[in-house]
Formats: sequence, structure tokens, C-alpha cells
Amino acid sequence: MSKGNIILEAKNICKFFGKVIAVNNVSFNLHYGEILGLLGDNGAGKSTLVKMIVGLFNPDSGNIYFKGKKVKFTSPAEARKEGIEIVYQNLSLIDLMNIRQNFFLGKEIDRNILGFNFLDNKKMDEECKKSMEWLGIKVRSSDEDVSLLSGGERQSICIGRSMYFGANLIVLDEPTAALSVKESKKVLEFIRNVKKEGISVVYISHNIYHSYEVCDRFLLMNHGAKLGEFVRNDITADDLISIISKGEINPDLEKYNLCHV
Amino acid sequence: MVKLNKDFYSIGKETKLFRLIEKLNSTVFKYSEFGVLVAFIVVFLFFLLFANRFATLANFRTVLMVTTELGIMTIGVTFLMVAGEFDLSVGSVFGFSILICTILANTGLNSILAFIITIIITSSIGFINGLITLKASIPSFIVTLGMQMFIRGIMLSVSSGFIISYTGDNLIPMILGREIISFISHSTLILFALLMLFSIILNKTRLGIWILATGADKESARQVGVNIYKTKMICFIIAGIMAGFAGMVNLSRFKIADVLMGQGMELEAIAATVIGGTLLTGGRGSIIGAFLGVLITGMIRSGLILLGAPTFWYRSFIGLILVIVAIINSYMMKIKRKR
Repeated sequence: MSKGNIILEAKNICKFFGKVIAVNNVSFNLHYGEILGLLGDNGAGKSTLVKMIVGLFNPDSGNIYFKGKKVKFTSPAEARKEGIEIVYQNLSLIDLMNIRQNFFLGKEIDRNILGFNFLDNKKMDEECKKSMEWLGIKVRSSDEDVSLLSGGERQSICIGRSMYFGANLIVLDEPTAALSVKESKKVLEFIRNVKKEGISVVYISHNIYHSYEVCDRFLLMNHGAKLGEFVRNDITADDLISIISKGEINPDLEKYNLCHV
Repeated sequence: MVKLNKDFYSIGKETKLFRLIEKLNSTVFKYSEFGVLVAFIVVFLFFLLFANRFATLANFRTVLMVTTELGIMTIGVTFLMVAGEFDLSVGSVFGFSILICTILANTGLNSILAFIITIIITSSIGFINGLITLKASIPSFIVTLGMQMFIRGIMLSVSSGFIISYTGDNLIPMILGREIISFISHSTLILFALLMLFSIILNKTRLGIWILATGADKESARQVGVNIYKTKMICFIIAGIMAGFAGMVNLSRFKIADVLMGQGMELEAIAATVIGGTLLTGGRGSIIGAFLGVLITGMIRSGLILLGAPTFWYRSFIGLILVIVAIINSYMMKIKRKR
């Protein structure tokens, strides 16, 4: 793939928390419309790495380039403006509010009446339904409380929300954790739909089989450092599991490793 | 998910009562004012039956008069509580505003100017409450409790415990206290206007949605880009302004400043808010419900007098209603969740 296709590039990123090295000299890139699986055991530094991409942390050293431009986000809002969205594990949905309110929270559509801005509930309702239907979810009414929805439906609201607001890059943090088998399948289907739109995805998961189903490429991390990088077709899901659990790459797989540390 | 719940109801429970509950669920119960409306009707009927002269214009006037001040204060308290914070200092701010305005106007200052300065001071108190709560991350319960004591102390030292009568000009008392028809004063009209205004803000505008979101789950709200600091700060300032304004209404009615004024009023306002269906934890609430709560307190106050009962029963009554309505409200929330 040519260099012009790259949406996100991270170069030699380090992050320290006191004496702890959370992320140690990690470099990677991401193409348009590509799903990158970020794999690693607990504490491998996956979350810290993506938090730097979405602007929650700043890297202590190293640079991030987004769409060819060097970026330094100071807040998630800034990253969002550029088109980077994150769907958190806890989903950032507010149980006491309905689907529409959640969908548009922070970016409500207004209607001007006599010089005052009021919420345009009708328009928000239509837009919300349209977006959800595109993802394959029938919403009876956007007035329903999100607490009544299933895990997969909740996930789809978050993904739909990110896409609606023009994300170019969506970071998904454990989207299938705590979902039933059927629901997980649905969510993986959404992710494929997202890819079809040319949106890039960074997919963090503990479930290797789930990420193996959707990802194009895998970035493996261990103790904050990059362990290896594999294209999906070069490797099996079981190999990935064995690499992560051992923390090292089998010599016979080393030839497929895209990065040579 | 809908299917599952229908199954849940149909297991041997396909009775008329259940169908009724389900029907109510989608219509009446969805409003958080339901509990307070029931309480309002019960209290109203009770006094209508047992207290002579309860349904008279004179009594109506009394109820409106006592509810106006508490009502205005409760608007601010409700806003803040929906955003997930408390203000225990509003009672002191109420008394403080009366004292400041009286002292300023007594020096010969135009009372409208004194009024404006007072409101600026009370809004600053709200701002300071917010600043300390948000910047030092201390519970607002503690911050505003401290503020309550602090202000009351200042009041005591300024007035040395004496009652000061208002001798300033008659502009503000005229503007706020005058009655247009024989029983509705300007301040009551202002209260109704404020109720409408803040109800619209809470339900129909971006700020309202942000307040609800901040109170319901501030972490999630922050993650999707709601400025929770700004939102909470606005609510703290509104609480301060409303408390000060309520004080001005009181001043135009009695024209005296007493150190003890407004003591315990913050708890009455919180009680009215909770009776009105606002969650103590924030995220859901109603201005109109809170006002119905205030009306209940007003009805009990005047109703007990009409009954000839000793007025100290008033607090017991409010306490009783508070707990009963809180139970109704939490029960409704439970039904709603099960739907």
C-alpha cells in the first residue's frame, strides 16, 4: 500500500506514569478503511496507546500524524473535531435519557424560534432513526430509554453516533465484552459496515476470535512495547493466542512479522 | 427486548390489573410529576373536607403569598439538584440578601440599584460555591453547608442580632409587592413567568439536556463532549440568584431584615424538590413538580391554621408527605425500569 493511503501514523511513541513505562517506543500506521486489531494481555498498554490517539493523554515523546498532518490533541473534543471518535467500554450512554437524547448529546440540533434556540426533536428523531436503520437496527421510537435496550443495541447507538458525526477513525474499546454470542455477531457486522464506508477502525479486544473475524491487520503489544505486527492472512487465530499468552513470537512465524524490533 | 418483557408479563399474569399498569406506564407514569400530583390532590381534598374556609379567595391568596418566595428559591435548588449538586446555603443567602439590600437602601441608595447590587452579590456566592465544589472536588453538600454557616455568621456580626427596618425608598417594594388583582401580586406573576421559563430551559433547550445529562452520569456526559463544569457552574449561579430574588420578594412584603430569616428554608426547598419528583442523585427532575411540592407546603401551612391545629404540626406534616411521595416516586421508577 502506498503512503498516501495512510490516515494515522504514530512514530516512536512513549508514555511514562512516574517510573512505569506504559507505552515504550511504539510505531504503527493505519490506512483508510482498514481495521487494525490491537491485541495484548491486560496491562500491555493498549488503552494508554489509544488514549493518546484520542487526545486523553499526550505522549511523552514521539509524534502522531493524522491525515499527513502532525497533531497534538489536548482534549478528546479536539480529536473529535478532526474526526477521531472513541467508543468506550462503558459506552458513554446515559441510562436515564432516551435514545435520541443520547445520540445527539453534546451536539444537539437546534431550531431557531424568535431568536432563541430550542431543540429540534423532530429532526433529531428522524436522523437518529435513519442512522440506526442503516446499521440494521429497527428503532420503534427514539423516545425509548436506553436502559431498555440490549447490549448490542447500545453498542450500535454509540457506533452509529460516531459515524453520524463524520468520524474518519473510530476506536472501539472491547465492543463485544459482556455481549451474548448473537449480539456479538451483530456488532461485528456493524463494524464491517463501518469499514465499507471507508472509515478506519482501531479495534481493541481480548477476544481474539472476534477480532480475527473483522480485522485486516494485527498489532500485538506486550509490557508496553510492540511485540509484532501481522497481516490477517499470514497467521491463524490460534497462533495469535499463543503469541499473546507466551509474550514472544515463535521462530517459524517470525518471517511474517512486519516489524523487526 | 420488548418481546422478552411481554413474555414476562404474560406468564400467568395476564390480568386486567397488569394491563392497566402497562397502559398507565406508557402514558401517566412516564411523567415524574405523577407522585406529586397525587399528593397534591390528596392534601387538597383533605383540607377541603376538614378545614372550613379552605376554598376561599382569601386562603388562596395566603397560599400564593407564602409559596412565592419558597417557589422562586426552589427553582434554583431544583436546577442544581437535577445537575447532581446541592445548595444548602440558599436559606442563608435568602436572609443575607434581605440584610444587604436593607442596609444599602437605608443609606439613601436608590432601591433598584440596591436590588441589582444584592443580586450580583448573591450570584457571586453561587459562583464561589460552584468554584470551590468543582475546582477542589469537594462534595457541594459540604461546601454549601460551610457557606451557610459562614454567611449566617457574617449576618450576625453585621446586624449584631438586631432587627433592622427598611427605611429606603418605595420602588422595589412597589414593583415586587403590589397586587394587580386583589389576590395576585407582581411577584407571584414573576414566579409563574420564571416557572415557565425554567421549565422550557430544562426540557426544550441544549442547556437543559446538558443539565440532565450532567446529573445523570457526568463521566459519560463529559466523554461525549458536554462541558460539565460550565453546566454545573450555571446551575450554582442560578441557585444563588434565585435565593437572592426570593429574599427581595420577602423584603418587599415585610420591610424588615432579621438575622434568622430563611433559616431552614433550604431544607424546605430541597423537600419540595424531592416531593416534586426530582431524583436526589440528579438526572431527572421537574420544575413544575417542584412547584407543586411548594404548593403542598403552602396548603399545609395555611390549612393547619384554618383547622385550628398548632402550627408546629406543619413540619411533621411536610416530613410525612416527603417520605410518602419519595416512596411513590421510587416505586414508579421501578415499574418504569421493568417495562
